[in-house]
Amino acid sequence: MSFAATGDEGARGAVYDRGYRPYDGPRGRRGAATLALYKASIRRGLGLRRAWRQKVAPFVLLAVVTIPAIVNVGIGYVTRDQAFDRIEIITYRNYVGVSSALLLFVALVAPDVICPDRRQRVLPLMFARPLIGRDYVTAKVGAIVSILFMFSFLPQVVLFVGNMLVSTNGAFDYLTENVDVLWKVPVAVLVLSLQYAVVGVAVSSLTDRRIVAGASIIGMFLVTSIAAGVIVGEDIDRSGGSLAALINVLALPLYLRDVVFLGQVDPEGSLNGTSGGGWLALAAYLVVLAAGMVVLLRRYRWVER
Amino acid sequence: MRPTWQTSCVVDTEPLLRLTGLTKRYPGVTALDDLTVEVPRGLIGLVGANGAGKTTTFRLLLGLAHPTEGQIEVCGIDVAADPIGVRSRLGFMPEHDCLPLDQTAADVVSTFGELSGLPARAARQRASDILDLVGLDEARFRPIGGFSTGMRQRTKLAQALVGDPELVLLDEPTAGLDPLGREEMLALVARLGTFGISVLMATHLLDDVQQVCDHVVMIDAGRLVVSGTTDSLLERTGFVTVDVGAGGADLTAALASQSIHATWADGLVEVTIDSEVDLDVLRDVVAELRLPMYRLTSRLTSLDDVFLRRASAGAGAGTSGAAG
Repeated sequence: MSFAATGDEGARGAVYDRGYRPYDGPRGRRGAATLALYKASIRRGLGLRRAWRQKVAPFVLLAVVTIPAIVNVGIGYVTRDQAFDRIEIITYRNYVGVSSALLLFVALVAPDVICPDRRQRVLPLMFARPLIGRDYVTAKVGAIVSILFMFSFLPQVVLFVGNMLVSTNGAFDYLTENVDVLWKVPVAVLVLSLQYAVVGVAVSSLTDRRIVAGASIIGMFLVTSIAAGVIVGEDIDRSGGSLAALINVLALPLYLRDVVFLGQVDPEGSLNGTSGGGWLALAAYLVVLAAGMVVLLRRYRWVER
Repeated sequence: MRPTWQTSCVVDTEPLLRLTGLTKRYPGVTALDDLTVEVPRGLIGLVGANGAGKTTTFRLLLGLAHPTEGQIEVCGIDVAADPIGVRSRLGFMPEHDCLPLDQTAADVVSTFGELSGLPARAARQRASDILDLVGLDEARFRPIGGFSTGMRQRTKLAQALVGDPELVLLDEPTAGLDPLGREEMLALVARLGTFGISVLMATHLLDDVQQVCDHVVMIDAGRLVVSGTTDSLLERTGFVTVDVGAGGADLTAALASQSIHATWADGLVEVTIDSEVDLDVLRDVVAELRLPMYRLTSRLTSLDDVFLRRASAGAGAGTSGAAG
């Protein structure tokens, strides 16, 4: 159907009403809907398809967390012909722990991905689709985990490749000498990303105000960190660590990072001297994850009733 | 032609909705009380006052709430047994604001297309087509936060349609619209029927239903008042309305001399008709006065009259008119 506009013969135009065309192509169900929500959440977290202001925070953070790797590689390049040992300003293990930057990022991104859905009442529209609460939680947590993993892992890749290229022994030798890094870094980064994401999303799900959620995330991490520090005390080397260090939610993934890289908890860390510190850290980590998931599944349970 | 996956409702004899003994109780409140009704395909109005149970019915249809008692079938599918299957066939336009304001209409509708199970490319294409259909083609790359109420309503309708549903649930689609926007929205809703999409439109505005819907389900306090085709509910009243232009006063006087009661108001003459003979007399009088006969219509009861009469007659009285 069309309604033609009149005019000169040489400049005749028409406005077409294309009507409605049914869709007869392939159609997914829960899996497809979950994947779609996952992708949409990643786009939102990174500020893609949004105003430029929304892109500033994630990409500035990516730049910030990559700077140590670039500086480290740069120093290696400049000093590669010097007689003294290579100067390393950061190791792969330490690089996993750029947690203050990541903590800030979680406090910015997790509320932005979660809170508007409730505040702007988008949830009923989502759950009118082939999607249930578990799918929603999976997509949202998965998106935050993916972004955090990417932001933690990419700098490590820059560091590793850069070190390979400036290695005095040659790139291949550096690769063979450090091949264990290729699994240790992804595992440690994944452990860190998973916990920050679950905690960040769980806290964000409890409010529809982004500023409250962000402050709560930072507050929860910092309060547990300070509380653990006060209880354990500062003179760890002399008196040994304490199990109270396990209440430090911020540090739990770092204890596991040490287990991954060192095969044990850090001898100079807050769990120093506690027997089975690694297992206890793992147990505490799993408890935090489980608590976060329970909060999330209960929070979005209503759509399944 | 509807896609092959939507075969269950293609059979015309299959009711679109079948509610059997549907009851939903919340603590201290019975939102729906033993509601039993069958609804055919087409444009359906779900009518009731605020708090009558319309939104609760939608929540139950979508599987977002469980009935306390009773059963719901949408397109022959039991909602309790396969809520995901039902939702795959439905589109939903809520009454309240529900759109992410910092995203463009194209992004939002496309994302909801993907959430409905469409591949990303198809979702983008359909989002473009549907936004064009609802009249937002020029504005689709603008953030929704800058939209007027009418444009937001259209965007909400677009997201409900992007998944190519068999049935669209519209909750108060004309709420907050100015008269022109309301007319445009109702025209859009009416067009959906020509596309083979059934519509269940919940509203308390009976004029909207009368204008668009071919079947009406009226509920009050969670109970069925009446269900039937719109035409069957609009009864003749014994009045005809005549438009004879400026000659209304002359016609009224002439009819009075023939013992036929008539009143002239707003340029129209309303004539009381007791028998077919009165219509003949009316015709002859108009001819004798050489008046132009622009229009002659039977005056019908409005849905407001039907609702008020049936509701006051008793909550259960209308069930005998349950649709077929």
